[in-house]
Amino acid sequence: MSPSPQSRPSAEGTRPHAIYLAIGFPPAAKSSAYRMRETANQFINAGWDVTVVTIARDSWERDSGIDLSLLDQVDPRVEVVELPLAREDLETDIRLFDEARALNPNGWINALRRRQQKAFPEPNFGEWRGDLEDAVLRIHRERPADLLLATCVPYVNLAAAWKLWEEARVPYAVDFRDGWSIDVVEGVEAFSPDSEEGRWEEKILRHAVSLWVVNDPIAEHYRKRYPDFADRVHVVRNGYDADSSPGRLHAPDPEAGLVFGYLGTVNFSTQHLQTVLNAWRAAREKEPLLANARFELRGHIGAGASREANGHSEILKQAEADGVFFQGPAAKAEVSSIYARWDAMVLILIGGRYVTSGKVYEYMATGLPIVSAHAVEHDASNVLKGHPLWTGAVGVDEAGLTESFVRAAHMAVETTDEMHAEAMAHADRFTREALMSVAVKNLVEDLTSRRGSSTTGGSPS
Amino acid sequence: MTEVLLVASARPQFGVLAESVRKFKAQGARVRLAGTFHLEPVAEEVSALGLAEAHQLPRGLSHRSQALRRRASKSPRGLRVWMQSQRDSWLRGRARKADVLVALDPDAVYTVWRLAQYNRGAEAKFGLAAGLKAVETLTAGDGGSARRPTASVLPPLPMVARDVRRSVESLPATLLRTATARPVMRSGVGARLWRTAVTAPGMPVKVRAATSRYVSEGMRWAGRTSGAALALTQAAGKIPDLALKAELLDEAVMQEVSKGIRPRHLDKATATQLAYADAEFAAGRLDTAAKALNRALFLGFHRVLHIDQLSSPLADDAEGFVAPFHRSKVMRAVGRPQGRRVPAAPAPTDRPLRLLIMTSANDNFLRLVQQHYADHPGVELRFLDLAASKHYKRAAWAATRMLQDRLAEGTSDYQEEVERLMRPHLDWADTVFLEWAAGPASMLTTIDPGDARIVVRLHSYEAFTRWPHQTDFSRIDDLVFVAPHVRDLTTSLVPQLRGERAPRLHVLHNAMDLSGFARPKSPEARFNLGLVGLSQVAKDPKWAVRVLEQVRKHDERYRLLLVGGDMNRKTSQATREYRRDFEAELAPLVESGAVVRVGPTDDVPAELASIGTILSSSVREGCHVGVMEGAASGAVPVVRDWPFYAGKANGARTLYPGDWVVGSPEEAAERILKTTSTEEAWRQAGQRAAEHALTEWDWPMVRKHFDQLFLSNG
Repeated sequence: MSPSPQSRPSAEGTRPHAIYLAIGFPPAAKSSAYRMRETANQFINAGWDVTVVTIARDSWERDSGIDLSLLDQVDPRVEVVELPLAREDLETDIRLFDEARALNPNGWINALRRRQQKAFPEPNFGEWRGDLEDAVLRIHRERPADLLLATCVPYVNLAAAWKLWEEARVPYAVDFRDGWSIDVVEGVEAFSPDSEEGRWEEKILRHAVSLWVVNDPIAEHYRKRYPDFADRVHVVRNGYDADSSPGRLHAPDPEAGLVFGYLGTVNFSTQHLQTVLNAWRAAREKEPLLANARFELRGHIGAGASREANGHSEILKQAEADGVFFQGPAAKAEVSSIYARWDAMVLILIGGRYVTSGKVYEYMATGLPIVSAHAVEHDASNVLKGHPLWTGAVGVDEAGLTESFVRAAHMAVETTDEMHAEAMAHADRFTREALMSVAVKNLVEDLTSRRGSSTTGGSPS
Repeated sequence: MTEVLLVASARPQFGVLAESVRKFKAQGARVRLAGTFHLEPVAEEVSALGLAEAHQLPRGLSHRSQALRRRASKSPRGLRVWMQSQRDSWLRGRARKADVLVALDPDAVYTVWRLAQYNRGAEAKFGLAAGLKAVETLTAGDGGSARRPTASVLPPLPMVARDVRRSVESLPATLLRTATARPVMRSGVGARLWRTAVTAPGMPVKVRAATSRYVSEGMRWAGRTSGAALALTQAAGKIPDLALKAELLDEAVMQEVSKGIRPRHLDKATATQLAYADAEFAAGRLDTAAKALNRALFLGFHRVLHIDQLSSPLADDAEGFVAPFHRSKVMRAVGRPQGRRVPAAPAPTDRPLRLLIMTSANDNFLRLVQQHYADHPGVELRFLDLAASKHYKRAAWAATRMLQDRLAEGTSDYQEEVERLMRPHLDWADTVFLEWAAGPASMLTTIDPGDARIVVRLHSYEAFTRWPHQTDFSRIDDLVFVAPHVRDLTTSLVPQLRGERAPRLHVLHNAMDLSGFARPKSPEARFNLGLVGLSQVAKDPKWAVRVLEQVRKHDERYRLLLVGGDMNRKTSQATREYRRDFEAELAPLVESGAVVRVGPTDDVPAELASIGTILSSSVREGCHVGVMEGAASGAVPVVRDWPFYAGKANGARTLYPGDWVVGSPEEAAERILKTTSTEEAWRQAGQRAAEHALTEWDWPMVRKHFDQLFLSNG
């Protein structure tokens, strides 16, 4: 069954209205915030009004924190509705705990997750369903919507999209980014079609105007899983923000010590981290160029009670003797200046062929040598193929990575300005603005063409 | 300064913690860490953290009751951590003053949650990042000392007041704790309300017990120790179940005892434990009967009541105090004389007497006796220190097992253990001389002594303990006292000592070599009052200060010399409090030179050379060795009429020449001023005292009495 957009068209002379369910929208310091920001901005550019639905900014304090500088680039015409929702499992105020939670915090959270999934099959977020449904209905009542775009995670957004579809026939599209029924890290099916999640996904996608995912392997998965829906699956890569690029040519100073950098959420395993650090140590011992080098990591580690106090933090702290320094999250506004201080990038990624990450684009745009610390068969490898300053993917292997660090050190000091410029150019096609403007344009066109085919018709643009 | 208290149940990640402590300090916070994990193996890492304090919380519950350990084993880990920590006074003190409480791991959360109930003004956070954020917010608030507005988090008192009697049954634990929080309990109204709530009619037993414990805990945190005890006592009064009632009353007594307070309802607590023990005994449940009796004896003879105080219920009415114990069936079963199968064999005439001298650690008064018999041709001597081996030590103080064995009429495994340990010694020895009539005496009399003669010496403190009440004196041949008044007190306490199968009773002075004390005294010594030994509350050195004040009114040349170590604050809360007051009193006197703290010494005779008057300020003594030695040195003895024994047939007045003994500091001053009015008078009085001491108490005299005891056959 194809979507049948029966919602009312926008009033004559007014801009069409999109409700954008984007939990993680700025100022949340989430890696997905950039994509969300650009999406909203591109709708505005396309002549739409946008109402973003997210959760209260205070709630991010217990999660990944907030970065107010992210708001700078949000188009002021974007309206943001913050719902008073928070992840209960990440609560760190013991005064808000009842006795049962205080007695057994982990057991209590497990029970909470089971309870949350009664409303919607998603731990941590399932119980938000009612609030999200009420919110979109209310927004639609106040200002009728022409489109709802739900970006996931959390997947509970889908319930709100469905509600508005059921009640008001507002067409919707889904930005799955990494996909739901595919476990991108393990590269396996996350749930079967007849599971509760499976039924939800099938139901939602059957009526969706469009589905966005971040890379071809994920798109392939969806096209195979839902053949009837294959033409509505689109790859919308993450890309990078032009303003994050250092925008200048590279000038290493081996005397002062080369600086390698990692910027991003620390979401890989401690074992993965340890392997990278072991390779780093070995490379420093082996390569004179690295003897006085530093390896700086910036980003978020852990959440809730274990924020910056988990195994990763401890491993990093212990590695200080090897010139490894963790310096906490970086505000979006600082990113370009941070890249400008670095001489090479260390791309540590989880997963394999289904994972691309947003980092890879940003790293490429720096024009700096890139050490890949991820599986050989990884979508980042596809993106990096042809990059002149890439050490290549050797897997998460200590000896291989040691050589990669050594090679990157030489690249940092030996390559010419032209090669750096060429490296930066390799990323040009991946600016977020370019990617998202196309994606939004296509979505609007899809919607229009479907509307055009319906009796109520009318162009939203 | 923002006070941060971190609580950890598991070894934290030190790198991360160090970084966080640095950040806390950068924000002007003072950081303390309390852990139930073992701190010692990571002492280096802990000290590198730069904490204001790091504190080891109890690592387990090994010193707590079996019932509690059983309960703990079935409880969530978070509760176990709290059970271990809740009585830790360091933790409680620091938690009360903290601005931010932080749990570092999931099992520490409950402890922080509970601490936060009693410090309603503090932030309580889980995780370092949350803790740092809280400090940041506080610091931004008003320069670092801001706290939650306490009033806004207080439970509404009117709610508590409104028909609390009815609502208490249905109140969830959280609300109960909120409503019993420190600020409420600090107010007289709140405390009274809650106390009456626990006696509300018709409340289910378990709810009443649980409620009273919450109320009690709240009061304890609010500093209302007696209120805490009273809440439990009043609830117990409404509970018919003997076991639970006894448990609550026991907890009530321990609340006060642990604070060094003489419990108001001790008699109720012991009577209930005894009644419970009797009931269990009658039902044939000997183990629980023994445990309940053990608690009754433990409470009734707690050192805070009798040892660490300036008076004791035993001093007032010894027989009346012990009567409820000896009336109970279970105690009568324990006290039933078992006697010995054969009488002790007469001392051998064809070979040296095999003499076994036994003690448990304390051999302070044995040195001369041991030396004498080690060199004696008529004696083959062996010495056994029970404290030197963990097997003996464990058996010697196993109070409950001893009681179980008595109730099981000698059929317990304890009996076998003591047989295994002691029989070889009893088989060898002709005579056993056991120093101190405490745990080891109770252990030794668990088994039949064969034909060995058993001699036990009771000094003084033992009379104030439980041990004579669970010793079978029918298996002891001779009981030696160091003074008549101790004999009188002990026989009035222990029915067996008044019965037909009582041992022979002797009074032998302590063995003292007084010959070395006669050293020349300088003329200045005339104005020096001396007190030798002040390590126990019973020595009441404050009395000596009163005497000093009196004499200094007449002549400021008088000084007080304090010889010996200080009281150990760790002994008990009562000791701690006495010492605190005493120190406060002493400070200006030491500064002005009126009091000289000589401290511990190995050479008492040398110190006595500069003492002109030797004082005994004690409230009780067996025989005050310090005074006897002082007298032997030629110092004028001034002995307080020890209040525990004053007015009785025997006491200080019968142990010493009458003119040495005084009834008050004023009388003491009068005697001092008179005897030291001139150097000549002072020296003459000292000379007379020395002569008396050497004639009565010196070892050559006393030795004859020991020889008579051990070596004569009649």
